[in-house]
Amino acid sequence: MAESSGTTLMDLISADPTPVPAQSTSSSASSTASQPSPATASAASHLHHPMSTKTTLGEKKSKRATLMQIQNDTISVAKAALNPVKANIMPQRQRQKKKPVSYTQLARSIHELAATLDQKSSQKQLVNHVFPKLAVYNSVDPSLAPSLLMLNQQCEDRNVLRYVYYYLARILSDTGMSPGGGIPTPNWDALADIDAGGGVTRADVFPRIVNQLTSEASNSEAEFHARRLQALKALTYSPSGNSELLTKLYEIVFGLLDKVADVPHKRKKGVFGTKGGDKESIIRSNLQYAAMSALRRLPLDPGNPLFLHRAAQGVSFADPVAVRHSLEILSELATRDPYTVAMTLEKLASPAGALQDILHLHDVLARVALARLCHSISRARALDERPDIRSQFNSILYQLLLDPSERVCYEAILCILGKYDNTERHGMDERAAGWYRLTREILKLPEAPSKDKSNKTKRPQPLIKLVMRRLESSFRSFSRPVLHAAARVVQEMGKSRAAAFAMGLQDIDESVHVNAFSDALDDADTNDSSHPEGIRRTSSISAGPGRNETIASLLASLMEVVRTTVACECVYVRAMVIKALIWMQSPHETLDELKSIIASELSDPSWPAALVNDVLLTLHARFKATPDMAVILLEIARIFATKVPGKIDADVLQLLWKTCLVGAGSDGKHTALEAVTIVLDLPPPQPGSMSGMTSIDRVSASDPKSALALQKLVQAAVWFLGENANYAASEYAWESATPPGTALMMLDADKMVAAASSRNPTLAGALTRLQRCAFSGSWEVRIVAVQALTTIAIRSGEPFRLQIYEFLYTLAEGGVQSQLSEMHLSNGEDQGVSGTGLGVLITPMLKVLDEMYVGQDELIKEIRNHDNANKEWKDEELKKLYETHERLLDFVSLFCFIPRAKYLPLGPISAKLIDTYRKKHNITASSGSTDPTVVATGISDLIYESTQPAPAASNSSGLDDDLVNAWAANLGDDGLLGNNAPAMSRVNEFIAGVGTDAPDVDEENVFSRPSVGYDDMWAKNLLETNEVEEDDARSGSSSPDSTGSVESSISSHFGGMNYPSLFSSKPSSQSTAKSSGSKYQPTYEGYGSPIREEPPPPYSYSEPQTRESFENPVAGSGSRSYESDDEEPRKSSGTRFGTALYDFTAGGDDELNLTAEEELEIEYEVDGWFYVKKKRPGRDGKMAGLVPVLYVNQS
Amino acid sequence: MPFNGVPAEERLHWRSFLVKLGAENLKGVKNEELLVACHKSVYIVYTMLGDVSIFLVGKDEYDELALAEAIFIITAAVKDICGKPPTERVFLDKYGRICLCLDEIVWNGLLENTDKDRIKRLIRLKPPSEF
Repeated sequence: MAESSGTTLMDLISADPTPVPAQSTSSSASSTASQPSPATASAASHLHHPMSTKTTLGEKKSKRATLMQIQNDTISVAKAALNPVKANIMPQRQRQKKKPVSYTQLARSIHELAATLDQKSSQKQLVNHVFPKLAVYNSVDPSLAPSLLMLNQQCEDRNVLRYVYYYLARILSDTGMSPGGGIPTPNWDALADIDAGGGVTRADVFPRIVNQLTSEASNSEAEFHARRLQALKALTYSPSGNSELLTKLYEIVFGLLDKVADVPHKRKKGVFGTKGGDKESIIRSNLQYAAMSALRRLPLDPGNPLFLHRAAQGVSFADPVAVRHSLEILSELATRDPYTVAMTLEKLASPAGALQDILHLHDVLARVALARLCHSISRARALDERPDIRSQFNSILYQLLLDPSERVCYEAILCILGKYDNTERHGMDERAAGWYRLTREILKLPEAPSKDKSNKTKRPQPLIKLVMRRLESSFRSFSRPVLHAAARVVQEMGKSRAAAFAMGLQDIDESVHVNAFSDALDDADTNDSSHPEGIRRTSSISAGPGRNETIASLLASLMEVVRTTVACECVYVRAMVIKALIWMQSPHETLDELKSIIASELSDPSWPAALVNDVLLTLHARFKATPDMAVILLEIARIFATKVPGKIDADVLQLLWKTCLVGAGSDGKHTALEAVTIVLDLPPPQPGSMSGMTSIDRVSASDPKSALALQKLVQAAVWFLGENANYAASEYAWESATPPGTALMMLDADKMVAAASSRNPTLAGALTRLQRCAFSGSWEVRIVAVQALTTIAIRSGEPFRLQIYEFLYTLAEGGVQSQLSEMHLSNGEDQGVSGTGLGVLITPMLKVLDEMYVGQDELIKEIRNHDNANKEWKDEELKKLYETHERLLDFVSLFCFIPRAKYLPLGPISAKLIDTYRKKHNITASSGSTDPTVVATGISDLIYESTQPAPAASNSSGLDDDLVNAWAANLGDDGLLGNNAPAMSRVNEFIAGVGTDAPDVDEENVFSRPSVGYDDMWAKNLLETNEVEEDDARSGSSSPDSTGSVESSISSHFGGMNYPSLFSSKPSSQSTAKSSGSKYQPTYEGYGSPIREEPPPPYSYSEPQTRESFENPVAGSGSRSYESDDEEPRKSSGTRFGTALYDFTAGGDDELNLTAEEELEIEYEVDGWFYVKKKRPGRDGKMAGLVPVLYVNQS
Repeated sequence: MPFNGVPAEERLHWRSFLVKLGAENLKGVKNEELLVACHKSVYIVYTMLGDVSIFLVGKDEYDELALAEAIFIITAAVKDICGKPPTERVFLDKYGRICLCLDEIVWNGLLENTDKDRIKRLIRLKPPSEF
């Protein structure tokens, strides 16, 4: 504002006679800058009428506006003949060859002409030249007001007066400088302040204008009434903040209505407000119009019975616009107090009442308002006692479905669908009920004594049929607005339908014949005439083809038409159609068609990014309505990611991935994760598994910009994978299904991979992809991939951790190439120089894993020593163990979030001992450590209010705890990551690296030997004690390669993105010391260790001799050290019995669902799985199948 | 009165949005052929009339169809005043009356008069219905 006034002031001041650009035009006139004429210098107001709070129908902006601002030369066009100004018109370089008339010139002319009003020529000039030109300016100077008021009083010319009212209204309405259209003008008020003498501000003239207009508005002379209308209109432009004026306006309006509203008025059908009728009634009608229009612009006065009364009277007015305003007021009131409004309108709604007449009123918006009014009243709970009233209004609403105007018909459809019940809680209910109504209810035209001949049709009709026909015909329209609106209506239908399914409305059977409902109501004297607007009816021919229509078939034929609309050349229409298709897509239908539509659409470069993201958000909304569709929606989202990576917002996509993954449920998680990883466009782990790779999956990133965007997306996907793979795979180290010892014996890589993928294909798949990413792709992607792998390694149990460890290790060493080509199918791409540049990054990650393995080995040794010597654990030993535990926890926490209370860096075997120590020293698991400097102590507590194992009951409740927790943590909220629960965002921050700022820990726990050689590790493992190692570690902590710096450099790639993580959702199955104790028992069997409590679960180990080939010294030595004398492999043979230890959800057809405690007969064992038979069929009816070995306790 | 009903702080944003929209889509469009767009919950209907582009922006009850109706009224009024699809020059010459028409069609951000004759009367300060 300051700026604009400054600029203009400069213009005013500058005396340059040949100003070129827009603003300077004004300067030529007000050359006497420092002494601006009162006119120029005066006060306030702008051109625009910013009715801020109102709906913005009215923004009308035409090229003129733009042009004017941009180049004023065009304005000069308008100059031509203005007399007083003529002198000032100079030749101009523009094609008009004329100089624009300046604002000051115009203002001066107004003053001059107002003074010489008696001359005809003055009036002519005003109307033809001065006023029109003034209109192009952005605002009107308040100093013009006196002249305008003078004109208003003295001038007789209607055209002049009309302009005067127009400009007075503009002066009244101004609220501030606005960068709208028109030639910019100064801030008049500011200008007036500067000009201490004689400046006129808006505040100065405001009361005068209001007074004059008020008195005119109250003038009851018949001849004056046209001016009265305009005066009242101008008054309504004044800002609504002025309560004094507001009171005055109410007074005028109600006073006017007192006089004109009460006269009973006979309405003449069909000829509203036009010729005919006596003068008196026409004047009355005009005044009714003026009053009602003004009332509409005044603030609602909901509690005021007079207000309501007057508004209701308006329904019977003769002027159609007055009727519209009255209905609009009523429909707004009805949303607040439906009961009172309904009572007031009771009579009008009757079959012969005035509301029925409005059905035929020639004003579209009036009927739209009627639809809303009827909707509010017919759905009002307050009217439960008066079903008669409700049904009357309902009947009117249904009749509006037959309205010739699409606008009205669609409004009625939307009302019926429950679109306007937006109260969060009832929204879904109303939507569902709306779909029910639409598919079940019947339009029965009232047998009104209406003279309208079209009402002869009495046969009731199912709403759905009417609606479908109407929409189908709309989709054949050539008008883009109609197509857009129709698609929008279909989208709303989809929303209501989804809500109905989600609410489980029992009765939804779309194969029901629609006529089944109407038949019951069929009149005997069916009259098969067409409807007013020409909708043909077929249902009355009792044997006709229409008889067999079902809702499903109607929908199918509608959707067929909708799909063809994709051919529309307007992207906005197409976007709306796609949104409609997404909403109408049901979880059970085939997806191919939608997918190919979207894929081909997205190839069109004319799609703006905003629109693409809008569709993505639609997917998100669709998912929230129907979580079952997670996988389907992800597949669609994938198309976006691959087709238009440059246009989609990675945040939006991540949000979608996240919510879908959470919502996919245990069965869908694998598929959901797969859908995410497709973004990586990596070859599949197994050949052929993605043979269906169509063009949809091919990334189109031809130009550098979208290639860059794609890389960002890939980074995001990789990050997402690392963060959430464990969730998707339900594999957590702290509830691992695999005892550590077992994994350590899987000595060669192939076997390990095989075992891993048979154990958990989801995680194995994710690992494969990440591994590929870690050495192919850009450096940024590789970093993120390595980071992701580390995260997974830390969070997963064996054999995954070991597998990753080995991979990282070889990656750091540079020997990946050969290894990888053995492990995976090469896709022929150049896999890059192995190990390039990543070694430095990997080292700290390897280090943490090293630490953990070393710790585990130490522990095992200790345990053996104790067991052999039959010693109890001393407190000091326990303390040392515990300290190691905590230290490792801190270290691990630097890399990723882990639940401290549950996480056991020393392996599950340490659980018992740690627990013992904690008990002894009263350390609660939730607080984790008594050390106040520990960095991540709080993180787990943020999420896990209680660290108690989830009660068994919740496991069997059928709800996935993960899901529940995730939703509870507000993960599913669509606030675009912004409004996650504080806890979540803190965790996310932490994950993003923020948490690593914590004091001390970095120093203490960062191990930063840039490269730990094979020998080093070997030696360390065998020779060094933990303490020595710790010292070592500390000494190196100042290196820039420290973990902390790696962490932050990586997180900076995602600076501010704050990726969502599912990880913090609480793992579902309880997994505590007790269960893990039992799981891992077998390893120490025979040692008499105090931690042995339960009989060992069987497990078939792989051949001991292969362990020699195992390259990992840490793990290898560990396994060797304790395994040798303990090994007692059980061969699988014969029939045994067992009980299920935990619930198990089958992941495939050949697998079997288990419920904990179930008794089983074990047929045979294969690759870590038991083939078992149940005593009686389970809930799913299956008797036999594969279950993981570890889920069964053999008896 | 351009930008009637739009909060001052949004006008600049809208202006650039619409200018872009027009520049991208209005080339080669026939007179009075309606184009549609939407931005969040706001609908935009726009068209070309002679040298002039007209944009209408609305939301809630002023959806695409209501705007299409309003734009029809506006183009009719403009044609009426200018006698034919206006050139830039003619449009500016008649700009004053066009503003008065708009003032009758849109009042305080709400659609008001839709009847052509009625608008004609009102801009000459005659009552909406005459005797």
